Amino acid sequence: MANLTSEQAKQLSDNFFMLSTALLDFRVANWDSLSKENHQVLSDARSKSLEFGEQILAFATSLIMNEVTESLDTINQVTSDIKGTIKNLKNIQKGLNIAAAILVLGIAVLEKDPGKIGESIKGMVVTWGEG
Amino acid sequence: MRSFLILKNLLFLLAPFSIFSCVNLKTVQGFSNTSSTGLQQFEEIHYTFLDHCQDRCFEIAVHEFQLERELECECGDFISADSVTQVIYSTINGYLLGLGELAQNNLTTYRTNDLTGALTAQQLGPVSIDESVVGAFSALSNTLLRSTTDFYRRRKIASYIEKANDPLQVLLKKFEQIVQANLKGELQFKKERLYGNFIELKLNNTLESDFEKRKAGEDYYNALLEINRLEKMIDIYAKSLHEIADGHQVLYDKRDKLSLKDLAVDLMDYSSEIQVLNTEFNKLNQ
Repeated sequence: MANLTSEQAKQLSDNFFMLSTALLDFRVANWDSLSKENHQVLSDARSKSLEFGEQILAFATSLIMNEVTESLDTINQVTSDIKGTIKNLKNIQKGLNIAAAILVLGIAVLEKDPGKIGESIKGMVVTWGEG
Repeated sequence: MRSFLILKNLLFLLAPFSIFSCVNLKTVQGFSNTSSTGLQQFEEIHYTFLDHCQDRCFEIAVHEFQLERELECECGDFISADSVTQVIYSTINGYLLGLGELAQNNLTTYRTNDLTGALTAQQLGPVSIDESVVGAFSALSNTLLRSTTDFYRRRKIASYIEKANDPLQVLLKKFEQIVQANLKGELQFKKERLYGNFIELKLNNTLESDFEKRKAGEDYYNALLEINRLEKMIDIYAKSLHEIADGHQVLYDKRDKLSLKDLAVDLMDYSSEIQVLNTEFNKLNQ
């Protein structure tokens, strides 16, 4: 048996909605001539129609999941690729910062200044660890 | 001095290319950001499938005068419906935010201050670099870097738009179906239950005084107005989803011509329409 689609489920829900309005309209039109028992039967039938319709409508939403799985996977893959590209572009800034830190270290080495060398190494480690 | 002049000339030649590429990416960024803001209005609707289930459970208990120590509602299907809605919403939003971020200008605005500072402030052993040459080098390297990375970004953005368009159209359509057909459909049931409850009150002659009747009438119409307000918000929101889908289609159709000026003009229509709808939506939400 073929599975129910979200559109078919929505159609079912619409049918229950129309049934419930028809039941109420009938009750209203024949209010004084209906017995107490008949009122109760019609009222219960209308309430159940409303509840079924609402329930099927929620179910129709869950059915949509089966219809979009492939699309969700593709978009999630594209989004993940976009994030990768953004990370690569941000790494260019990191590369520039590291180049500057290496240059500062080189200058400190040329000047044979142990204090500056220590500071430069610390600076380079910090830059390397950033974002 | 000669090298400085060469660098300056190169810089002059490359500058328009850099400015040109910024402008085009800005169009994509503007559309993505506006679309993402429009999409996020979903969080302002403040009505979910679970809210509907709990409301109906409460209304039935009141109508049938069921008194329980704790009101227990069977809402499994409604919770599932909210989960599906949330997954689709988050996926579309994640894509639009990512596209906007990738297209934003400062992503490839690189700072070379540290590098030029290190070159000019110190003497590099026996070599001393002239400050003006370092400045020109910095400007040129920035321009080259910007141009190549912007070219790279445009190529990447075009390929992402191409891959994303078909599934995005499907997701936006289904999301619109969830919001406009299903969530708004639940509100139709809420309206019908409300009408039935009040018409029974009227026809059963349970209300005696004029005051009671008027109070009941006022309660009915206030509840109805609130449902109508939610329905209008959903309608406006659904229109926004439509504009986002159409705008992305234009991006897709012109993905190989992202540098064209008329792309900015075409997308401006969609962005403006989404902004107008956002304003309308916010008015209803006040």
